[in-house]
Amino acid sequence: MTNPIAEARADGRTLLTEVESKQLLHDAGIPVTQARFAAGADEAVAAAEEIGFPVVLKIVSGDIAHKSDVGGVALDLADADAVRSAHAAMLEAVKATAPDGTVDGVSVQQMAQPGTEIIVGVTTDPQFGPVMMFGLGGIFVEVMKDVAFRIIPLEQRDAKQIVREIRGYPVLEGVRGQAGADLDAIERLLIQVSDFAWEHREVAELDLNPVIVRPDGALAVDARVVLAAEA
Amino acid sequence: MSVDRARLDRVLNPRSIVVVGDKGPGYTWLSNQSEFTGDLYSVQVDEKEIKGIEEKGIPNFASLDKVPGEIDLVICAVPRSVSPFIIEAAAQKGAAGVHMFTSGFAETDEPEGIALQERIKEIATESGLALVGPNCMGIYNRRLGVKFTGAAVQGDGGSVSVMAQSGTHTIGLTLGLQAAGIEVTRSISMGNVLVINEADYLEYLIDDDDTKVIVMYVEGAKDGRRLFELLRSVRGKKPVVLWRGGRARAGGRAIHSHTASLASSGDVWAGLYRQTGIIPAGSADEVVDTVAALVNMTPSSKRNLALIAMTGGQSVAISDQFERAGFEVPRLSQQSYDRLAEFFNVIGGSYQNPFDAAGTVRGGEENFKKLLDILEDEPAIDGGIAIELSTQGYDKNPKWLDATLEQLASYRERTGQPVITLSPTGGVMSASGASEAAVKAGEAIAARGFALYPSFARGADALGRVVDYYAALEE
Repeated sequence: MTNPIAEARADGRTLLTEVESKQLLHDAGIPVTQARFAAGADEAVAAAEEIGFPVVLKIVSGDIAHKSDVGGVALDLADADAVRSAHAAMLEAVKATAPDGTVDGVSVQQMAQPGTEIIVGVTTDPQFGPVMMFGLGGIFVEVMKDVAFRIIPLEQRDAKQIVREIRGYPVLEGVRGQAGADLDAIERLLIQVSDFAWEHREVAELDLNPVIVRPDGALAVDARVVLAAEA
Repeated sequence: MSVDRARLDRVLNPRSIVVVGDKGPGYTWLSNQSEFTGDLYSVQVDEKEIKGIEEKGIPNFASLDKVPGEIDLVICAVPRSVSPFIIEAAAQKGAAGVHMFTSGFAETDEPEGIALQERIKEIATESGLALVGPNCMGIYNRRLGVKFTGAAVQGDGGSVSVMAQSGTHTIGLTLGLQAAGIEVTRSISMGNVLVINEADYLEYLIDDDDTKVIVMYVEGAKDGRRLFELLRSVRGKKPVVLWRGGRARAGGRAIHSHTASLASSGDVWAGLYRQTGIIPAGSADEVVDTVAALVNMTPSSKRNLALIAMTGGQSVAISDQFERAGFEVPRLSQQSYDRLAEFFNVIGGSYQNPFDAAGTVRGGEENFKKLLDILEDEPAIDGGIAIELSTQGYDKNPKWLDATLEQLASYRERTGQPVITLSPTGGVMSASGASEAAVKAGEAIAARGFALYPSFARGADALGRVVDYYAALEE
């Protein structure tokens, strides 16, 4: 098993790729969708078969920040043929919209089932060191900035309170007859991420955005780890 | 801790003080110590100043090494350029510590000030000198009569301690609490926290047996991690009322994540409040109001109140404010209403809760006693009473208010519930805040151990913050 932090350091990078970020978090027991790097179409199909269909395909390029803007994301691919055709179409689209971008390959990822989106993050506060953020995903975080913070490490009580502190909490409890989100799974995830950040001080920033919460669990579908600049 | 604890203890509880460089005509720092219970000396070489110092009966010396005996605290009031020499001399003399009133250091953002501050830090750190400041008003110790203003009281008692990053706020909070009838046991103006930082002072106050309530004013944390851990450790042991001023800047570092872009310092402090169970306050008034409730009131996490106002209009206003602050004003049981109907004057009055009670309680002590007896038996009320008290005419006829206070004290004792007293300025039943009657009434109310608030809003907010605090301890 490779060590994503050591690899990034060796390359002089502070930004981990999505595949690296997820590997690191998966190794720490944090629920993230499976993600494999694939250089070409055959590798992508093999990875998809290993993960199990349906899958998601995302472009991997150090030059492209917003993958979906350049046609670099394909969702819900049901079989090997769908992976092959999506792969070809994606390379085409990216070439057309971002001709200067160097494409390293694609990442093949487990397709998460729909649910309520939340964001869980870590940043380094200049006064207090590692702190955690929690909020609902989508417009709740983008527009309403409906988020709450805690200083890491969190205790059980902190995890319980932060989930209930945001204005959008009723959405997690379930509205209009919808089943509520798995609050225990969210609290468990918060403690796991807190412990991870506390043990990995070289991690300066971390976004799990979004994490999809269903009545029976929570699963991060995107992850970004940023390391502190080396002293 | 950044300094030796025994030395800090001597600095905060000095038996001997030397003021260096005080100047006439006022001789501020020597005059501040006029009620100091230990040995007071002066060091001054300026002939023009020495005469005035000696006239005050204070022994003056040409240098620190000439001062007899052990020195606990040196108050350094010399110009900044000379100050490193005084710090050096204090270290050589073996003084426990120095309060540096001298300013003009790193806070000026100019090279000379920064260089001088570095030099002072070096001397203090090498010698282990407990250095308070620089750029601050130093310390107040009620029992020993160590003062930073003559207006602070010397005497026994005191249970509240103040630590603040601003000299103005240290003095303002100390005198503001004192004016509200709260005895402050010690105060610390922290200044530039060059050697001893906010976490050190907090640790001292947490361990200090004389300190039952801690008041903090901070603008930022030099050792945020330790401050956080100390505040978390004090949860449930001592209440900490924290007023944070200003907005710390996050610095110009590059940000890559969504989380980092959303993390304002205010949000992080808000998280700290929840994690540590401190009581946040947004102004000096809020600090004083909150401490008054903490010190005077029975601990309670309950929110169902009986509200007693003296007119119809005020019964609406008092309900609005307490409901806004998170309280319930429940209807009472039929049994209580039946009992109230027997004597309550409903012509121009009402007993639904809120109470519009002037017509009834003005009718005699007996009626007020009956009302409180009914509330004591009422299961819907668990959070106590908030009552509008008229201070009108108290100077001429104190009987009614004194009797009312006695009844309220008895209710508080019998039920263990809080009682909050309110005398809204400008209320038709109250004298205006500054009148002689109001001042005397205020003193009588404070003497009975009730927190008195000049508006319903301030009383409601103060009780709300304290009830939130006790409720959070139960989570």
